[in-house]
Amino acid sequence: MNLEELIATEELCERYRVEHTFIRSLSKSGLIEVVTIEKREYVHCDKMADFEKLMRLHYDLDINLEGLEAIKHLLDRVNELKDQNIALKNRLGLYE
Amino acid sequence: MEFIDYYKTLELDKSATKADIKKAYRKLARKYHPDLNPDDDSAKKRFQQLNEANEVLSDPEKRKKYDEYGKDWQHAEHFEQQKQQRSQARGGAGGFGGRPGSSYSGSFDDDRFSDFFEQMFGGGARTRGTGRSPQFKGQDFNAELQLNLTDVYTSHKQTLTVNGKNIRLTIPAGVENGQTIKIKGHGGPGAQGGPKGDLLITFKIANNTDFKREKENLYRSVELDFYTALLGGEITIDTFKGKAKLTIKPETQNGTRVKLKGKGFPKYKKEDEYGDLYITYEIKVPENLTKKEKELYTELQKLRS
Repeated sequence: MNLEELIATEELCERYRVEHTFIRSLSKSGLIEVVTIEKREYVHCDKMADFEKLMRLHYDLDINLEGLEAIKHLLDRVNELKDQNIALKNRLGLYE
Repeated sequence: MEFIDYYKTLELDKSATKADIKKAYRKLARKYHPDLNPDDDSAKKRFQQLNEANEVLSDPEKRKKYDEYGKDWQHAEHFEQQKQQRSQARGGAGGFGGRPGSSYSGSFDDDRFSDFFEQMFGGGARTRGTGRSPQFKGQDFNAELQLNLTDVYTSHKQTLTVNGKNIRLTIPAGVENGQTIKIKGHGGPGAQGGPKGDLLITFKIANNTDFKREKENLYRSVELDFYTALLGGEITIDTFKGKAKLTIKPETQNGTRVKLKGKGFPKYKKEDEYGDLYITYEIKVPENLTKKEKELYTELQKLRS
């Protein structure tokens, strides 16, 4: 994995003013993938939008970890259904 | 500029306590938070209204001013000046302090408070965040790009103008109708030094060909004359890559489908890989038969029965 595409968790804590335990909890519950390279923990920059979303939901709406898991699952499902909807619409074109 | 009833926005009445306001705001914010309502502009707008209402009603000073002047907010400054003059004459001091509020943070509501709010409380009156004051990634911009099917058969470069800025991007061959691609760092500026948002481009692809497409496969119907279908032969058809010669087997039935491997559409982000082209034969029965032809067909019919 390219190190340039990774953001150290300490940097995230500093930048977003969040506790390290929060990132660790997200990682433990599989909501965010944290990679360890030479004893330092990182999050991939592609995952930042997901991280920010979870952070807003947690800190702004007081949603606990279990709630975040449920929301993440449902939002993933919404996106899946959206993609399916697009694919089906495109397929429908075959019969028009 | 219209008067905004912040109590109505939070579904409260004027006697609402601080706890009522907090509770109502939290309840509605959970319902309309943009993270929970992706791509829903009405929810986003409602969330911004909630933030604005909360900004005013959760701050005792702002709420007092709002309650006091209400619909006469246009004259608030004038009233304030008069009041200040009176209090200065008595040796006191007026004005609004403002304290950190409890409106929700995020990159989606920046600079979106109403003109009503800005007029009444001034541009600098907003308080942000929940005390964290973090850096946030800028807003993602959404754009739609209309293309023809023939345009996305090959990768090509195109220049887009987004918010006055020209962005040159490569549109990969095989992109699908309704597909969204992300151009990193071409969105809105980040908050408090945070990184820029992304530009999300959704493709709307119009079919300007006789082919029908499903992902990387193409479909097309070809008319086949009765005699070629019956006795076999050769036809030449148009594909996306040019002409192709097809051998027709004798006794080919109507609706027969043949596959031309690799003559379909390019596979998205897979160089030199193509889908297949499916050709369906539509057999055209001869019309306006002559007397002689009718006699011959009748004779053939007799042979078959």
